[in-house]
Amino acid sequence: MKTLIYGAIILGIVPIQSVLLPHLTLWGVKPDLGVVAVCLIGLINGELDGLLVGIAVGWALSLFSAQDVITGAMLKGALGFAAGLAGRHVVYLSPLVLVSGLLVVSCLVSLVTPFVLRLNSEQDLWWAIWNVALPQACLDAVIGGAIYWLMWSQFNIEQLMSESRM
Amino acid sequence: MWMVNLRVTSNARRVALVLAVVLILGLFLLPGQLQSVFQGVGGPLGWIISWPLSVVAGVHDRIGGVWDSYVALQGMEDENRLLKRELELLKEQNGQLRESAAATERLAILLEFKKQALPILIAAQVIGRDTGNWYKTIILDKGASDGVQPDQGVITPAGVVGRIVKTTASTAVVLLVTDSNNAIAGLIQRTRDEGIVEGTTQGQARLKYIPLLSSARPGDRVVTSGLVEGFPRGLAIGTITRIDKEEEALFQSAELTPEVDPNRVEEVLVIQSSPVPTEKERLSLPKPKP
Repeated sequence: MKTLIYGAIILGIVPIQSVLLPHLTLWGVKPDLGVVAVCLIGLINGELDGLLVGIAVGWALSLFSAQDVITGAMLKGALGFAAGLAGRHVVYLSPLVLVSGLLVVSCLVSLVTPFVLRLNSEQDLWWAIWNVALPQACLDAVIGGAIYWLMWSQFNIEQLMSESRM
Repeated sequence: MWMVNLRVTSNARRVALVLAVVLILGLFLLPGQLQSVFQGVGGPLGWIISWPLSVVAGVHDRIGGVWDSYVALQGMEDENRLLKRELELLKEQNGQLRESAAATERLAILLEFKKQALPILIAAQVIGRDTGNWYKTIILDKGASDGVQPDQGVITPAGVVGRIVKTTASTAVVLLVTDSNNAIAGLIQRTRDEGIVEGTTQGQARLKYIPLLSSARPGDRVVTSGLVEGFPRGLAIGTITRIDKEEEALFQSAELTPEVDPNRVEEVLVIQSSPVPTEKERLSLPKPKP
Protein backbone atom coordinates (compact mmCIF):
# COMPACT_ATOMS: atom_id res chain seq x y z
CA MET A 1 0.00 0.00 0.00
CA LYS A 2 2.79 2.38 1.01
CA THR A 3 4.65 1.65 -2.24
CA LEU A 4 1.50 2.37 -4.25
CA ILE A 5 1.03 5.71 -2.50
CA TYR A 6 4.66 6.64 -3.09
CA GLY A 7 4.35 5.62 -6.77
CA ALA A 8 1.22 7.75 -7.17
CA ILE A 9 2.99 10.72 -5.57
CA ILE A 10 6.03 10.37 -7.85
CA LEU A 11 3.86 10.01 -10.98
CA GLY A 12 1.31 12.63 -10.02
CA ILE A 13 3.57 15.38 -8.76
CA VAL A 14 4.99 16.34 -12.19
CA PRO A 15 1.60 16.97 -13.92
CA ILE A 16 0.31 18.89 -10.91
CA GLN A 17 3.47 20.96 -10.59
CA SER A 18 3.85 21.78 -14.30
CA VAL A 19 0.23 22.03 -15.50
CA LEU A 20 -2.00 23.00 -12.60
CA LEU A 21 0.20 24.96 -10.18
CA PRO A 22 1.24 27.69 -12.66
CA HIS A 23 -2.34 28.95 -12.09
CA LEU A 24 -1.76 29.11 -8.32
CA THR A 25 1.10 31.55 -8.02
CA LEU A 26 2.08 34.24 -5.55
CA TRP A 27 4.01 37.07 -7.32
CA GLY A 28 4.70 34.65 -10.14
CA VAL A 29 6.09 31.96 -7.82
CA LYS A 30 4.41 28.60 -7.44
CA PRO A 31 4.61 26.27 -4.45
CA ASP A 32 6.98 23.30 -4.54
CA LEU A 33 4.79 20.31 -3.76
CA GLY A 34 7.92 18.14 -3.83
CA VAL A 35 9.22 19.88 -0.71
CA VAL A 36 5.86 19.47 1.05
CA ALA A 37 5.46 15.78 0.10
CA VAL A 38 9.02 14.82 0.99
CA CYS A 39 8.90 16.66 4.34
CA LEU A 40 5.63 14.98 5.33
CA ILE A 41 6.82 11.52 4.25
CA GLY A 42 10.12 11.98 6.10
CA LEU A 43 8.37 13.22 9.24
CA ILE A 44 5.75 10.48 9.30
CA ASN A 45 7.63 7.49 7.90
CA GLY A 46 11.26 8.11 8.88
CA GLU A 47 14.55 8.96 7.20
CA LEU A 48 14.86 5.97 4.83
CA ASP A 49 11.47 6.60 3.23
CA GLY A 50 12.17 10.34 3.23
CA LEU A 51 15.52 9.84 1.52
CA LEU A 52 14.30 7.40 -1.15
CA VAL A 53 11.07 9.23 -2.00
CA GLY A 54 12.98 12.53 -1.91
CA ILE A 55 15.51 11.28 -4.46
CA ALA A 56 12.75 9.89 -6.71
CA VAL A 57 10.58 13.02 -6.50
CA GLY A 58 13.56 15.35 -7.04
CA TRP A 59 14.73 13.25 -9.97
CA ALA A 60 11.26 13.17 -11.60
CA LEU A 61 10.75 16.92 -11.15
CA SER A 62 14.15 17.85 -12.54
CA LEU A 63 13.56 15.71 -15.67
CA PHE A 64 10.86 18.24 -16.56
CA SER A 65 12.83 21.35 -15.67
CA ALA A 66 16.07 22.99 -16.80
CA GLN A 67 17.44 22.11 -13.36
CA ASP A 68 20.39 19.75 -13.11
CA VAL A 69 19.09 16.19 -12.43
CA ILE A 70 21.61 15.30 -9.72
CA THR A 71 21.08 18.54 -7.79
CA GLY A 72 17.31 18.11 -7.80
CA ALA A 73 17.50 14.50 -6.63
CA MET A 74 20.13 15.18 -3.95
CA LEU A 75 18.41 18.28 -2.51
CA LYS A 76 15.06 16.56 -2.12
CA GLY A 77 16.73 13.37 -0.82
CA ALA A 78 18.64 15.33 1.80
CA LEU A 79 15.45 17.14 2.76
CA GLY A 80 13.57 13.85 3.25
CA PHE A 81 16.44 12.45 5.32
CA ALA A 82 16.56 15.59 7.49
CA ALA A 83 12.79 15.53 7.93
CA GLY A 84 13.03 11.90 9.07
CA LEU A 85 15.72 12.82 11.62
CA ALA A 86 13.64 15.77 12.84
CA GLY A 87 10.52 13.61 13.11
CA ARG A 88 12.37 11.26 15.45
CA HIS A 89 12.97 14.05 17.97
CA VAL A 90 9.54 15.64 17.89
CA VAL A 91 7.15 14.34 20.52
CA TYR A 92 4.01 16.15 19.42
CA LEU A 93 3.56 17.73 16.01
CA SER A 94 0.72 20.23 15.72
CA PRO A 95 -0.23 21.80 12.36
CA LEU A 96 1.14 25.13 13.62
CA VAL A 97 4.56 23.64 14.40
CA LEU A 98 4.57 21.95 11.00
CA VAL A 99 3.68 25.19 9.19
CA SER A 100 6.53 27.05 10.92
CA GLY A 101 8.93 24.19 10.23
CA LEU A 102 7.98 24.04 6.55
CA LEU A 103 8.38 27.80 6.23
CA VAL A 104 11.94 27.63 7.57
CA VAL A 105 12.91 24.46 5.68
CA SER A 106 11.50 25.66 2.35
CA CYS A 107 13.35 28.98 2.78
CA LEU A 108 16.62 27.16 3.54
CA VAL A 109 16.27 24.82 0.55
CA SER A 110 15.47 27.79 -1.70
CA LEU A 111 18.54 29.63 -0.45
CA VAL A 112 20.83 26.66 -1.02
CA THR A 113 19.51 26.17 -4.56
CA PRO A 114 21.00 29.29 -6.25
CA PHE A 115 24.47 28.41 -4.92
CA VAL A 116 24.24 24.78 -5.99
CA LEU A 117 22.78 25.58 -9.42
CA ARG A 118 25.33 28.39 -10.02
CA LEU A 119 22.72 30.76 -11.42
CA ASN A 120 23.84 33.87 -13.27
CA SER A 121 24.91 37.22 -11.84
CA GLU A 122 21.43 38.79 -12.06
CA GLN A 123 20.06 36.21 -9.66
CA ASP A 124 21.91 37.15 -6.49
CA LEU A 125 21.04 36.23 -2.88
CA TRP A 126 18.63 39.14 -2.28
CA TRP A 127 16.84 38.51 -5.52
CA ALA A 128 16.54 34.84 -4.52
CA ILE A 129 15.18 35.68 -1.04
CA TRP A 130 12.59 38.27 -2.09
CA ASN A 131 11.50 36.87 -5.44
CA VAL A 132 11.57 33.11 -4.95
CA ALA A 133 12.44 31.85 -1.45
CA LEU A 134 9.93 33.79 0.66
CA PRO A 135 6.84 33.52 -1.59
CA GLN A 136 7.54 29.83 -2.20
CA ALA A 137 8.10 29.14 1.50
CA CYS A 138 4.79 30.85 2.38
CA LEU A 139 2.89 28.79 -0.18
CA ASP A 140 4.64 25.54 0.83
CA ALA A 141 3.86 26.18 4.50
CA VAL A 142 0.17 26.90 3.84
CA ILE A 143 -0.29 23.85 1.58
CA GLY A 144 1.73 21.56 3.88
CA GLY A 145 -0.20 22.80 6.91
CA ALA A 146 -3.52 22.23 5.16
CA ILE A 147 -2.59 18.67 4.10
CA TYR A 148 -1.31 17.85 7.59
CA TRP A 149 -4.41 19.36 9.22
CA LEU A 150 -6.60 17.18 6.96
CA MET A 151 -4.60 14.08 7.89
CA TRP A 152 -4.60 15.11 11.55
CA SER A 153 -8.37 15.54 11.65
CA GLN A 154 -9.12 12.34 9.69
CA PHE A 155 -6.49 9.92 11.00
CA ASN A 156 -4.62 9.34 14.23
CA ILE A 157 -1.27 10.73 13.09
CA GLU A 158 0.66 9.63 16.20
CA GLN A 159 -0.49 6.06 15.71
CA LEU A 160 0.27 6.24 11.99
CA MET A 161 3.77 7.43 12.76
CA SER A 162 4.56 4.71 15.29
CA GLU A 163 3.03 2.00 13.06
CA SER A 164 4.95 3.04 9.99
CA ARG A 165 8.22 3.02 11.92
CA MET A 166 7.79 -0.49 13.29
CA MET B 1 3.90 10.06 22.70
CA TRP B 2 5.21 7.71 20.01
CA MET B 3 5.87 4.11 20.81
CA VAL B 4 8.76 3.21 18.56
CA ASN B 5 10.48 -0.13 17.91
CA LEU B 6 14.03 1.14 18.23
CA ARG B 7 15.78 -1.99 16.92
CA VAL B 8 13.99 -2.07 13.55
CA THR B 9 14.08 1.67 13.24
CA SER B 10 17.80 1.82 13.86
CA ASN B 11 18.29 -0.72 11.02
CA ALA B 12 16.30 1.45 8.65
CA ARG B 13 18.24 4.44 9.91
CA ARG B 14 21.52 2.66 9.24
CA VAL B 15 20.44 1.78 5.69
CA ALA B 16 19.38 5.39 5.09
CA LEU B 17 22.70 6.67 6.43
CA VAL B 18 24.76 4.30 4.27
CA LEU B 19 22.70 5.21 1.19
CA ALA B 20 23.07 8.91 1.89
CA VAL B 21 26.86 8.59 2.35
CA VAL B 22 27.21 6.54 -0.86
CA LEU B 23 25.23 9.13 -2.85
CA ILE B 24 27.16 12.05 -1.39
CA LEU B 25 30.49 10.32 -2.12
CA GLY B 26 29.28 9.58 -5.65
CA LEU B 27 28.30 13.21 -6.09
CA PHE B 28 31.74 14.45 -5.07
CA LEU B 29 33.91 11.75 -6.66
CA LEU B 30 32.05 10.94 -9.90
CA PRO B 31 29.68 13.84 -10.59
CA GLY B 32 29.75 13.48 -14.39
CA GLN B 33 29.16 9.72 -14.36
CA LEU B 34 26.39 9.99 -11.75
CA GLN B 35 24.76 12.73 -13.83
CA SER B 36 24.76 10.59 -16.98
CA VAL B 37 23.44 7.56 -15.02
CA PHE B 38 20.55 9.63 -13.59
CA GLN B 39 19.83 11.21 -16.99
CA GLY B 40 20.04 7.85 -18.80
CA VAL B 41 17.87 5.90 -16.36
CA GLY B 42 15.60 8.93 -16.26
CA GLY B 43 14.56 8.23 -19.88
CA PRO B 44 12.09 5.44 -19.04
CA LEU B 45 10.96 7.28 -15.88
CA GLY B 46 10.31 10.40 -17.95
CA TRP B 47 8.41 8.31 -20.52
CA ILE B 48 6.17 6.87 -17.77
CA ILE B 49 5.56 10.30 -16.22
CA SER B 50 4.77 11.80 -19.64
CA TRP B 51 1.54 9.73 -19.72
CA PRO B 52 -0.19 11.31 -16.71
CA LEU B 53 1.35 14.63 -17.80
CA SER B 54 -0.32 14.39 -21.23
CA VAL B 55 -3.64 13.36 -19.66
CA VAL B 56 -3.64 16.27 -17.20
CA ALA B 57 -2.51 18.70 -19.93
CA GLY B 58 -5.32 17.44 -22.21
CA VAL B 59 -7.97 17.91 -19.51
CA HIS B 60 -6.52 21.33 -18.67
CA ASP B 61 -6.65 22.41 -22.35
CA ARG B 62 -10.26 21.25 -22.72
CA ILE B 63 -11.32 23.18 -19.64
CA GLY B 64 -9.37 26.20 -20.94
CA GLY B 65 -11.09 25.83 -24.34
CA VAL B 66 -14.55 25.78 -22.77
CA TRP B 67 -13.65 28.83 -20.68
CA ASP B 68 -12.30 30.76 -23.67
CA SER B 69 -15.23 29.81 -25.94
CA TYR B 70 -18.13 30.44 -23.61
CA VAL B 71 -17.19 32.21 -20.40
CA ALA B 72 -14.55 34.76 -21.38
CA LEU B 73 -16.50 36.37 -24.24
CA GLN B 74 -17.03 39.70 -22.47
CA GLY B 75 -15.46 42.65 -24.25
CA MET B 76 -15.34 40.71 -27.52
CA GLU B 77 -16.98 43.53 -29.49
CA ASP B 78 -14.32 46.08 -28.53
CA GLU B 79 -11.59 43.58 -29.26
CA ASN B 80 -13.17 42.84 -32.65
CA ARG B 81 -13.18 46.53 -33.57
CA LEU B 82 -9.53 46.88 -32.54
CA LEU B 83 -8.54 43.80 -34.50
CA LYS B 84 -10.30 45.07 -37.64
CA ARG B 85 -8.37 48.33 -37.39
CA GLU B 86 -5.14 46.37 -36.88
CA LEU B 87 -6.00 44.21 -39.91
CA GLU B 88 -6.32 47.28 -42.11
CA LEU B 89 -2.90 48.47 -40.98
CA LEU B 90 -1.37 45.06 -41.56
CA LYS B 91 -2.87 44.86 -45.06
CA GLU B 92 -1.16 48.11 -45.90
CA GLN B 93 2.13 46.88 -44.45
CA ASN B 94 1.71 43.61 -46.32
CA GLY B 95 1.48 45.45 -49.62
CA GLN B 96 4.69 47.31 -48.89
CA LEU B 97 6.42 44.10 -47.85
CA ARG B 98 5.33 42.34 -51.04
CA GLU B 99 6.99 45.11 -53.00
CA SER B 100 10.19 44.73 -50.98
CA ALA B 101 10.07 40.94 -51.38
CA ALA B 102 9.73 41.23 -55.15
CA ALA B 103 12.70 43.59 -55.26
CA THR B 104 14.76 41.28 -53.06
CA GLU B 105 13.92 38.32 -55.28
CA ARG B 106 15.04 40.16 -58.38
CA LEU B 107 18.30 41.14 -56.71
CA ALA B 108 18.88 37.60 -55.45
CA ILE B 109 18.48 36.19 -58.95
CA LEU B 110 20.73 38.92 -60.23
CA LEU B 111 23.47 37.98 -57.81
CA GLU B 112 22.97 34.26 -58.61
CA PHE B 113 22.21 33.38 -55.01
CA LYS B 114 20.74 29.97 -54.50
CA LYS B 115 17.27 30.11 -53.05
CA GLN B 116 17.56 29.39 -49.35
CA ALA B 117 15.78 26.15 -48.44
CA LEU B 118 13.58 26.18 -45.36
CA PRO B 119 14.84 24.25 -42.35
CA ILE B 120 13.06 21.06 -41.28
CA LEU B 121 10.56 21.98 -38.57
CA ILE B 122 8.70 19.79 -36.08
CA ALA B 123 5.39 21.11 -34.77
CA ALA B 124 4.88 20.60 -31.04
CA GLN B 125 2.36 21.55 -28.42
CA VAL B 126 3.13 23.14 -25.05
CA ILE B 127 1.88 20.79 -22.32
CA GLY B 128 3.38 22.35 -19.21
CA ARG B 129 5.70 24.85 -17.53
CA ASP B 130 8.86 24.39 -15.47
CA THR B 131 8.33 22.28 -12.36
CA GLY B 132 10.42 24.71 -10.30
CA ASN B 133 10.75 28.45 -9.82
CA TRP B 134 14.38 28.96 -10.84
CA TYR B 135 14.13 28.63 -14.60
CA LYS B 136 11.64 29.84 -17.20
CA THR B 137 10.92 26.82 -19.34
CA ILE B 138 8.06 25.16 -21.19
CA ILE B 139 7.48 21.44 -21.72
CA LEU B 140 6.69 20.16 -25.24
CA ASP B 141 4.82 17.01 -26.23
CA LYS B 142 7.58 15.92 -28.62
CA GLY B 143 10.80 14.26 -27.47
CA ALA B 144 13.85 12.26 -28.51
CA SER B 145 11.73 9.66 -30.35
CA ASP B 146 10.43 12.45 -32.63
CA GLY B 147 13.94 13.66 -33.42
CA VAL B 148 14.05 16.48 -30.88
CA GLN B 149 17.50 16.97 -29.33
CA PRO B 150 19.17 19.38 -26.90
CA ASP B 151 20.39 22.69 -28.40
CA GLN B 152 17.78 22.77 -31.16
CA GLY B 153 16.03 26.12 -31.57
CA VAL B 154 12.32 26.60 -30.89
CA ILE B 155 10.28 29.25 -32.72
CA THR B 156 6.76 30.35 -33.59
CA PRO B 157 5.88 32.19 -36.82
CA ALA B 158 6.28 35.41 -34.78
CA GLY B 159 9.83 34.75 -33.63
CA VAL B 160 12.24 32.93 -31.32
CA VAL B 161 10.85 31.13 -28.24
CA GLY B 162 13.94 29.45 -26.82
CA ARG B 163 16.23 26.46 -26.97
CA ILE B 164 15.80 22.76 -26.09
CA VAL B 165 17.84 21.90 -22.99
CA LYS B 166 16.59 18.46 -22.04
CA THR B 167 14.61 15.64 -23.62
CA THR B 168 12.92 12.40 -22.58
CA ALA B 169 11.51 9.91 -25.11
CA SER B 170 8.26 11.83 -25.56
CA THR B 171 8.80 15.29 -24.04
CA ALA B 172 11.30 18.14 -24.30
CA VAL B 173 12.15 21.08 -22.04
CA VAL B 174 12.67 24.48 -23.70
CA LEU B 175 14.67 27.21 -21.92
CA LEU B 176 12.86 30.42 -22.89
CA VAL B 177 14.55 33.43 -24.45
CA THR B 178 13.42 35.43 -21.38
CA ASP B 179 15.37 33.22 -18.95
CA SER B 180 18.49 34.92 -17.68
CA ASN B 181 20.51 31.70 -18.14
CA ASN B 182 19.83 31.65 -21.87
CA ALA B 183 22.11 33.30 -24.46
CA ILE B 184 21.42 33.65 -28.19
CA ALA B 185 23.57 35.51 -30.69
CA GLY B 186 21.56 38.47 -31.98
CA LEU B 187 21.91 41.12 -34.66
CA ILE B 188 20.32 44.59 -34.88
CA GLN B 189 18.59 44.46 -38.24
CA ARG B 190 19.10 48.11 -39.18
CA THR B 191 22.67 48.71 -38.02
CA ARG B 192 23.97 45.11 -38.46
CA ASP B 193 25.65 45.28 -35.02
CA GLU B 194 25.93 41.95 -33.27
CA GLY B 195 25.51 41.09 -29.60
CA ILE B 196 24.29 38.44 -27.19
CA VAL B 197 20.62 38.28 -26.20
CA GLU B 198 20.04 37.20 -22.61
CA GLY B 199 16.85 37.03 -20.55
CA THR B 200 16.29 39.24 -17.52
CA THR B 201 14.77 38.45 -14.14
CA GLN B 202 11.81 40.70 -15.09
CA GLY B 203 10.81 38.36 -17.93
CA GLN B 204 12.19 40.58 -20.71
CA ALA B 205 15.41 40.25 -22.73
CA ARG B 206 18.60 42.28 -23.06
CA LEU B 207 21.03 42.62 -25.97
CA LYS B 208 24.55 42.87 -24.55
CA TYR B 209 27.92 43.79 -26.03
CA ILE B 210 26.69 46.29 -28.63
CA PRO B 211 29.67 48.34 -29.91
CA LEU B 212 29.89 51.84 -28.39
CA LEU B 213 29.75 53.51 -31.81
CA SER B 214 26.54 51.73 -32.81
CA SER B 215 23.62 53.98 -33.72
CA ALA B 216 21.03 51.53 -32.34
CA ARG B 217 17.87 53.20 -31.05
CA PRO B 218 14.53 52.21 -29.53
CA GLY B 219 12.27 50.59 -32.11
CA ASP B 220 15.09 48.70 -33.87
CA ARG B 221 14.37 45.02 -34.44
CA VAL B 222 16.79 42.35 -33.25
CA VAL B 223 17.08 39.06 -35.16
CA THR B 224 19.21 35.93 -34.79
CA SER B 225 22.68 36.28 -36.26
CA GLY B 226 23.12 32.60 -37.10
CA LEU B 227 26.39 32.47 -35.13
CA VAL B 228 25.19 29.82 -32.70
CA GLU B 229 23.85 26.36 -33.29
CA GLY B 230 20.11 25.88 -33.52
CA PHE B 231 18.99 29.15 -35.12
CA PRO B 232 19.49 30.21 -38.75
CA ARG B 233 20.08 33.90 -39.45
CA GLY B 234 17.18 36.36 -39.52
CA LEU B 235 14.60 35.01 -37.04
CA ALA B 236 12.93 37.80 -35.05
CA ILE B 237 13.89 37.94 -31.35
CA GLY B 238 12.51 41.28 -30.18
CA THR B 239 12.33 45.05 -30.46
CA ILE B 240 14.63 47.46 -28.63
CA THR B 241 12.78 49.55 -26.04
CA ARG B 242 15.72 51.26 -24.27
CA ILE B 243 19.44 51.76 -24.81
CA ASP B 244 21.72 51.69 -21.76
CA LYS B 245 25.08 53.38 -22.13
CA GLU B 246 27.23 53.51 -18.99
CA GLU B 247 30.18 55.84 -18.60
CA GLU B 248 33.57 54.23 -19.22
CA ALA B 249 31.90 50.98 -20.31
CA LEU B 250 33.36 49.19 -23.31
CA PHE B 251 29.95 48.25 -24.71
CA GLN B 252 26.37 49.43 -24.57
CA SER B 253 23.36 47.24 -23.98
CA ALA B 254 19.70 47.40 -24.96
CA GLU B 255 16.49 46.26 -23.35
CA LEU B 256 14.25 44.21 -25.65
CA THR B 257 10.60 43.29 -25.70
CA PRO B 258 10.50 39.73 -27.07
CA GLU B 259 8.39 39.18 -30.20
CA VAL B 260 6.82 36.10 -28.62
CA ASP B 261 5.09 36.26 -25.25
CA PRO B 262 6.35 33.01 -23.73
CA ASN B 263 3.54 32.94 -21.16
CA ARG B 264 0.89 32.66 -23.88
CA VAL B 265 2.61 30.41 -26.38
CA GLU B 266 0.67 27.16 -27.06
CA GLU B 267 2.12 25.69 -30.24
CA VAL B 268 5.72 25.93 -31.38
CA LEU B 269 8.07 24.72 -34.11
CA VAL B 270 11.35 22.96 -33.31
CA ILE B 271 14.13 23.60 -35.83
CA GLN B 272 15.39 20.09 -36.42
CA SER B 273 17.98 20.94 -39.02
CA SER B 274 18.96 23.80 -41.21
CA PRO B 275 20.01 22.91 -44.80
CA VAL B 276 21.89 26.20 -44.93
CA PRO B 277 24.83 25.99 -42.47
CA THR B 278 24.93 28.57 -39.71
CA GLU B 279 27.89 30.95 -39.61
CA LYS B 280 29.52 28.81 -36.92
CA GLU B 281 29.12 25.63 -38.95
CA ARG B 282 30.36 27.39 -42.07
CA LEU B 283 33.47 28.73 -40.34
CA SER B 284 34.28 25.37 -38.75
CA LEU B 285 34.16 23.49 -42.08
CA PRO B 286 37.63 22.17 -43.02
CA LYS B 287 39.13 23.98 -45.99
CA PRO B 288 39.67 21.79 -49.08
CA LYS B 289 43.32 21.01 -49.76
CA PRO B 290 44.71 22.44 -53.00
